[in-house]
Amino acid sequence: MSTASAGLAKKFGYKNVRVYLDGEPAWAKAYLPTYATHDFIKNGNVVLVDVRPSEEAVKGRIKGAYSIPYEQLDDRLDDIPRNAPVILYGDQEVLDAMEDMRDDGFKFVSLVRGGFAGWIASGEAIEKGPIFNTEIRWVRKLGKGEVSLDDFRKAASGEDKDAIIIDARTKEEVAELGTFKNTINIPLDEIPARMNELPKDKKIYVHCSTGARADMAYKELIKSGYNAKFLLLNIADAECDCEIIRP
Amino acid sequence: MYKKFIKLLPGLLIIGLLSFGCAQSPDVKQEMTPKASQTQQQAEKNVYKGTIVGKSNKAKTISIEVGKGKQAQTMMVKFDDQTKGVEHAVKGHAAIITFEKRGNDVYAKVIKQKLAKLPQGVTEIKTEELSALVTNAHKMYLVDSRPASRYGQSHLPGAVSIPVPILKEKQAALLPVDKNELLIFYCGGPT
Repeated sequence: MSTASAGLAKKFGYKNVRVYLDGEPAWAKAYLPTYATHDFIKNGNVVLVDVRPSEEAVKGRIKGAYSIPYEQLDDRLDDIPRNAPVILYGDQEVLDAMEDMRDDGFKFVSLVRGGFAGWIASGEAIEKGPIFNTEIRWVRKLGKGEVSLDDFRKAASGEDKDAIIIDARTKEEVAELGTFKNTINIPLDEIPARMNELPKDKKIYVHCSTGARADMAYKELIKSGYNAKFLLLNIADAECDCEIIRP
Repeated sequence: MYKKFIKLLPGLLIIGLLSFGCAQSPDVKQEMTPKASQTQQQAEKNVYKGTIVGKSNKAKTISIEVGKGKQAQTMMVKFDDQTKGVEHAVKGHAAIITFEKRGNDVYAKVIKQKLAKLPQGVTEIKTEELSALVTNAHKMYLVDSRPASRYGQSHLPGAVSIPVPILKEKQAALLPVDKNELLIFYCGGPT
């Protein structure tokens, strides 16, 4: 995208055009600050964290922010969902907080431009008083092609007769760990050769151990005209809660 | 309108050819340059060029998205101990896979990195140099070429959001008046 834009700029007559090919991920990886827009903070599916001392947050905070003072952040990292976009604000300590979180493997950490003062200066909404929402709640929105856990469970329990589940793990994994009910085991690498075993008039839900292979199988099935979706979940996760049978 | 499109077409073609500088984002509106047979041509030459969208070591399988826009297709290729350059099959990276057919299966023989080509007269800038420019508040126009949603989530200090389709539409109107000003474009990869 950046090279395409640079090519356009050249065409428009700009003489001094450069491209930062490594891009935003490299910038973040170098622990340099990145920022979220106010619109994204207000309307995005984010976890917004105020890292200032709690008495500051009580006096006034960005609407919807959780209060985790920087001294407590390290102990509370496990309370923050790792695949959520996390947006931090505070005083000087916010740069350390950002670095700590990126260091701990959080991929989407960005800051509020200008911190709390900048937020107020732009006339955005704040709230005051005691903080009751201490437990961080965040629900990931389903991505393209993903089946919801609810729909998957209905297929696995046999309640939804119009859906078929494919277990894309290897035969060895299935033999060792078992499989869900109402499931056909077609390892990912056998999908192209064996997809003709599948009906085109039913919903097909693919799962594996983490979702990576299921995603690949899903793409292959969609290409061939199947009504497929995939489960993006580590099936060892207690959240899955589907009955496992041993072959 | 139609005439304007014809006039733009050669430019669009060039842009289409150049636009593999970054990891592709699924929600980008791709250019609809006519390339109907690209996928087919690639398959005939036993070469896939595109973005790696998945890799499984357990299933020894790679998925690569080839072709642009509506013609884009995801191809599955297997690999084994004979495959060279498996380390270049990294999700989100651009790669060139030379393959062979064995029975019903397609096996990768060689996997190479597909390097981004800079348009003529454009130079690359690295993190260190850019970071110094940002710190010193150097006069420049820093542009985030990704879709607006990605900019919204996380962008570089001082960057403005101009997704590629918007730049194509509005052209120089969104860029500085001074054609000598330093312009720096970035996006989301190659990661």
